Amino acid sequence: MKYMKTLSMAATTGLATLLATGLTGCGQKPAEETTQPQAKGAFVIIEETAPGKYKIKDEFPADETRIVLKELNGTERVLTKEEMDKLVKEEAAKIDDGTSPLVQENPPQASEGMGLGSVLLSSIAGAMIGSWIGNKLFGNQNYQNNRKANYKSPSTYQRSMKSFNKPRKSATTKRSGFFGNKKSTSSRSGGFFGG
Amino acid sequence: MVTLRPITPLTTDYLESLGFEWHTDRDETPYIADSLVSITEAEAEAYYEAGNELYDMFIEAGEYVIENNLFHEIGIPFNLVEVIKESWENDVHWHLYGRFDLAGGIDGKPIKLLEFNADTPTALFETAIVQWAMLKRNHMEESAQFNGVYEALLENFKRLVTLQEDVSTFEERYEGWKFLFTSIRGNSEEENTVRLLQHIASEVGYETEFAYIDEVEFSGEEGIFYHDEQYELWFKLIPWEDIALEESDLAMLLTQIIKNQKAIIFNPAYTLLFQSKGILKILWNLYPNHPLLLETSDRPLEGQMCVAKPVFGREGESVRILDENGNTIEGGEGDYDNHKMIYQAYTKLPTDEEGAHYQAGLFFAYESCGVGFRKGGKILDNMSKFVGHVVD
Repeated sequence: MKYMKTLSMAATTGLATLLATGLTGCGQKPAEETTQPQAKGAFVIIEETAPGKYKIKDEFPADETRIVLKELNGTERVLTKEEMDKLVKEEAAKIDDGTSPLVQENPPQASEGMGLGSVLLSSIAGAMIGSWIGNKLFGNQNYQNNRKANYKSPSTYQRSMKSFNKPRKSATTKRSGFFGNKKSTSSRSGGFFGG
Repeated sequence: MVTLRPITPLTTDYLESLGFEWHTDRDETPYIADSLVSITEAEAEAYYEAGNELYDMFIEAGEYVIENNLFHEIGIPFNLVEVIKESWENDVHWHLYGRFDLAGGIDGKPIKLLEFNADTPTALFETAIVQWAMLKRNHMEESAQFNGVYEALLENFKRLVTLQEDVSTFEERYEGWKFLFTSIRGNSEEENTVRLLQHIASEVGYETEFAYIDEVEFSGEEGIFYHDEQYELWFKLIPWEDIALEESDLAMLLTQIIKNQKAIIFNPAYTLLFQSKGILKILWNLYPNHPLLLETSDRPLEGQMCVAKPVFGREGESVRILDENGNTIEGGEGDYDNHKMIYQAYTKLPTDEEGAHYQAGLFFAYESCGVGFRKGGKILDNMSKFVGHVVD
């Protein structure tokens, strides 16, 4: 039966990531405040799409920055701070001497993905870690064009952009506030609908 | 006797790092048991088959309720009838997932349906994630589990767009519809159950967002909004009957939104038909003496022990066990005493050597996809414990 399996067989989905890093965005307890705190970091999943070529599979705001790398051989791991710093530093050197595909006008084979350092710097997380690189990157039009290509699909890019830039206006013709005064009726720490 | 395998428990720190915060009950005892129920491959197969067969029977029973206008009979609030019919008529209102509570299936006892939590099932995090983590913690990577809940949900999320078994066309057919996930503020179990579903939907490729119910804006003509962004898909871990009874304006707005095709809501309104324990009587009438069913009536069963259950009770509240003469022998008063009741033949749950009772929770997402257990007294309430399993 297809759903009877061992952990090593089950680890082909984001389940393995979840077991390693937890449910993104759930670190905070349900808060009472009504405004969302600004994200301090980003959670990024980078996938190896061909040997030495990488794409951003997903990215969303999180309390702290974590980069999960899914390698071609199926392994998944979280990049250490040292690895991230090293990658950003190496990429910075390539940006300086113009060999980074990020700052080239039409980088060769960009659609297949770029090296890990380039992809990392395309992500919001990379932009946060590498903020010291500053304007030489963010003001560069080639970078702005190329970074989109490092997302696995246009919708991944759009979703990432939206999740980091949320508009905040209120509408007038709609109803809201339902269950606003609802108290949890459960006596455990949580409820148990359907229990 | 239930066969148990003792394990090293997960630390609360690790559970919290997963987003699983409801690890300790109000009496300070751990909610997650430090043992696994050992089941055989044949027992796992039997659960799988039972869930699939039961689901087909629920579809038949739902059709019967709608055709014969039996909404009142099974306790459905009148202000949801229209939205239930509307959701039943169109395939886009796809059932994301549910959980069957089953007696038996282990220890040589036959599988019997207790109820189907089709609308707002919890214990999802425990079943899909925590019991895998228990295997991992105990270096049991090569031990099997009947647990594909995560990937079954991954696939079924795609079916919300493909509307068929084959999910390979999801990416070409998904047109960027935005998916909002909602729970009631102030309850971490419900919130993180919803966030887990959101996490899976994001992995599938949906554009997702989370909001508490009080922040979400509704318009019958325009649809569902949060921060001025329109959401075509909405998951709410809020029982439909609570919407009907406590926020009747919202029930009306959601009916309009569905009729105007401004959003699709999960789980769909018709899942309330399955969630109502009133349908257990309909099932028994349609499938008398079916081996997976317990006799169920709207009055106490004469000459046999039975269990009185409110049609929309939760957490074992107001559930009572009656003897052959209709006298209460277990259970007491509760919040749902004034609700419509059904009476289901009593079946003894399998027990361990300490006398704790075990009930299986079988998840269903297009097909049966995984099982977990709860243990407690004869009536499982909100102090019952979650017990993982291993297929030996």
